[in-house]
Amino acid sequence: MENEDFEQRTDLGQLSAAVEQIKATLGSIIVGQQHVINLLIAGILADGHILIEGVPGVAKTLTAKLIARAVDVQYSRIQFTPDLMPSDVLGTSVFNPQSTAFEFKRGPVFGNIILIDEINRAPAKTQSALFEVMEERQVTMDSHTYKMAEPFIVLATQNPVEQEGTYRLPEAQLDRFLFKVEIKYPTLEEEIAIVTQQHQQKTVEQVADVTPVLKGADIIALRKQVRELYVEPKILAFIAQIVHETRNNRSIYLGGSPRASLAIANAAKAIAAINGRDFVTPDDVIYVAAPVLRHRIMLTPDKEMEGVLPDDVIAQIIQKIEIPR
Amino acid sequence: MLRITCLFIFLLFARAGFAAADTTAVPVKKGVKADTAKIVKVPAVVKADTSAVSIRRFNDAAIKKYAAQPEFKYNEVKTGGLSWWTRFWIWFWAWFQSLFSKNKTEISGFAVFMKYFFIMTGVAALVFLILKLSGINMLQLFRKKPYSAISYSEAVENIHEIDFEAEIENAVAVKNYRLAVRLLYLRSLKQLSDAGLINWQINKTNTTYVTELTDATQREAFRRLTLQFEYVWYGDFVINGDIFKKINTLFSNFKSKAE
Repeated sequence: MENEDFEQRTDLGQLSAAVEQIKATLGSIIVGQQHVINLLIAGILADGHILIEGVPGVAKTLTAKLIARAVDVQYSRIQFTPDLMPSDVLGTSVFNPQSTAFEFKRGPVFGNIILIDEINRAPAKTQSALFEVMEERQVTMDSHTYKMAEPFIVLATQNPVEQEGTYRLPEAQLDRFLFKVEIKYPTLEEEIAIVTQQHQQKTVEQVADVTPVLKGADIIALRKQVRELYVEPKILAFIAQIVHETRNNRSIYLGGSPRASLAIANAAKAIAAINGRDFVTPDDVIYVAAPVLRHRIMLTPDKEMEGVLPDDVIAQIIQKIEIPR
Repeated sequence: MLRITCLFIFLLFARAGFAAADTTAVPVKKGVKADTAKIVKVPAVVKADTSAVSIRRFNDAAIKKYAAQPEFKYNEVKTGGLSWWTRFWIWFWAWFQSLFSKNKTEISGFAVFMKYFFIMTGVAALVFLILKLSGINMLQLFRKKPYSAISYSEAVENIHEIDFEAEIENAVAVKNYRLAVRLLYLRSLKQLSDAGLINWQINKTNTTYVTELTDATQREAFRRLTLQFEYVWYGDFVINGDIFKKINTLFSNFKSKAE
């Protein structure tokens, strides 16, 4: 605990150690992107799904694969394509001639960490197959409901919608992602480090060398710890006010839902835990506000045409609200 | 005799034909001789009709029977009286048209008022429709501050208007150490703001103020104070008199060094 004047209430030792190990593992392969790594870890601790967006070639898939490999759970990968069918994701019933009965063959979504690569290359029909499993952690097929094993995390990557051959994801699905993490181009220094690192290693396969840091049971225990962190009522009101303001802002056509408020609260707790605190500060809330809200709000057409970004509007909203103190 | 009869018939038809066709006088051209033939009146021979006439009359009972049926009352138009509501609207629209009539010479003051009242109402309705269709939030249109449903008691608190020494004394007197630490922290912010070391804004976090300090020693000292404040205020850690004394000493040292 950073402040030794007070008695420790929550033992965040295991969590802090695991976070440091994951950061070190990812940091050895991925140059920079500390903010992205923090959010990915926070997403796992806050029991949320994460959407990673970036232009081709900025290590979206590598980052997602690394974070998945850092956790010792069942991992599966689905490459989304325009002709992918819901049954290709969820599974389908197949007739077994020996037993003369239909048997449900589970699809690749049955796992703990699901990496959906290029999620926005599949049309809405396939996207809607994910609605139930992402929110309710279950799949209903042929009047049977199959519960997903915990932890269940969807890590999805996508190119920006402006890229060729992509679809805009349905709002209902976007709302199911805790974060939309944007991976930007590296700085010049970072790019030099990437090239140098790749040149010195003289190997292509890096993901296989990653040692798992956490087991599934560890994640479940850490999530429970994160959920129990303290949030001052004024900070809860601060969160609610941020989301409320998105519904009254003239630049926004569709504001954040109450699910967004809950997501900010949970994500802020996870960030507080990563920072070694068992309580949330306004800084934690502001840190997660944009990643939680940017894919949930819809700008008005005129603002979109002006080139205004959701992050700009979110920043303006936060600047208008007094920090609880 | 036959010639005379033929002439009579010719003249008769000729006369009738001229009378019907054209009554305008036709000038007689020179060299044309006037017709001087005499018209001979021939008495018509009309025989009286002496055949017996039988007068047929309508059956009064049948007429009455049919007349009683509504289907045969062709001439009756059901006019009925206009309702008061219809009459009101007829009057209203007539009056409304008269307000905007250009031919009206005498216009009362009330009529002028009503005329402009209707114009203003129409303009207001048009503006409302445009704003509504364009999706502009009318609550925010004329507000300087953003619309807020939640009010904070701290929101109206201005650090430059608080009597910190008195308030801290009061808080310590009632052993409300949590509030006392908060006031100590706000006092430090005011001190830094007054010294021009930070730019006080309600939307800045504590971390922002820490990073605004350029002097490393002062920044570290203030970071320490911020940590204490956050544990007490945001973390709701239990604070007793002994811990408060330690924290109060830190704040007092910071205050004396910053002065």
